[in-house]
Amino acid sequence: MKLIKHQRTKAAIVWLREEIAAQGRRYRSIVTEQEALSPKRDRWVAEFLERIQTRGYHVHFDQLRKIPASEIPVRPKRKFRVVF
Amino acid sequence: MPRPHIEPYVELNDPWKKQTLPGFPKGMRYKVLSLDNETGACSLKVLYEPGYRQPPGMSYTEFELFVLTGSIQVGDQVHGPGSYFCVPAGVHLAELSSPRGAQALLYFNYSEPSFVESDTDHPQAERQRLVSVNAYEGMQWSSTHFFPATAPGCLVKVLRFDPRTHGFTFLYCMTPNFWQDNISYHDCCEESYHIWGSSWMMQFGDLPTGGYFWRPPYINHGAFACKLGTLALGRTDSQLYNHFHFNPWTTPDENRERAAARMQNWKPELYTWVATGEHNHPVDFEFPGEHGHAHGDTPHHHGDGKVKHSHGRRPWRKRR
Repeated sequence: MKLIKHQRTKAAIVWLREEIAAQGRRYRSIVTEQEALSPKRDRWVAEFLERIQTRGYHVHFDQLRKIPASEIPVRPKRKFRVVF
Repeated sequence: MPRPHIEPYVELNDPWKKQTLPGFPKGMRYKVLSLDNETGACSLKVLYEPGYRQPPGMSYTEFELFVLTGSIQVGDQVHGPGSYFCVPAGVHLAELSSPRGAQALLYFNYSEPSFVESDTDHPQAERQRLVSVNAYEGMQWSSTHFFPATAPGCLVKVLRFDPRTHGFTFLYCMTPNFWQDNISYHDCCEESYHIWGSSWMMQFGDLPTGGYFWRPPYINHGAFACKLGTLALGRTDSQLYNHFHFNPWTTPDENRERAAARMQNWKPELYTWVATGEHNHPVDFEFPGEHGHAHGDTPHHHGDGKVKHSHGRRPWRKRR
């Protein structure tokens, strides 16, 4: 049994409202922080794409495959988002 | 919208709040790590103040408890760091106390936190599903046993496995100098709290001790690296499959579509059956009272031809 039906109390409704608002602020703060990380992330991505061509891409456990340059994806024009 | 994508969140510098919800005794403080906006299901870090005493009682929702520091006492048993409980809804626990204080992770899985004093189980309680282990002392590390698997150096201890959903709760570690050069996403929600140590992901940067994430399905994460080692508690709400790839710029929609296309190749007969002929609400004969919602509320029936009928909503999450 995962859940037993019950009536949500007024106190719980108020608590939820406050915590949902706090979580909304936390989410927006995370989005801002992550957008500020973009220049570093772009460098990390470039390094990753370099490594999978030289050292290899993890296919499974310790199995690595070197990715040829022709398979390296091209960055699309849309905004690069990591938080959704 | 159930839980937003909370990643990364480091809670260590945020203040504790007093737990004032009805039923909970004084002396518990908490921080919300993530919260389902509809059901109230939530992941909390809690502080039991020295002398905390909670009478015997139960919750209306299944909950999980993992002791981080200090110790708690349930009945006459003392439970120190690494102690883990999964308590089904309606199962009563003996008096819970913490003479010297403790910190713990507390997850209410299907609704807002609730506590009702009781020295007996609720009539609907399934006590046989109660789990109580010490993850540090009573279990050993093993490989992840997934295919495809995480890179060598990522080890797990499975604390709880739900045979119906394949959701599970697990302690995991990354060894010093762990690295994994791929990008992963899953069909499930994934959640983690760093008990100790830092790890790095290409999208989000460093996640230190006290770092947390709640990640909805189909969101890219990785490549991965860990310099000095990490110990963390992870959870999923359904089966975790590693969809690996190396395109950093794919979106959750594209990832989900790829997952569906892969399922079409892996299980072509089942995929065709589910996707056609109003078979989109399959019933598991082991659980005849409930059925899946593979395609939301598109027209369907259950073999009786009655297309017009209604369903309760699924409590933990909806597909994005």
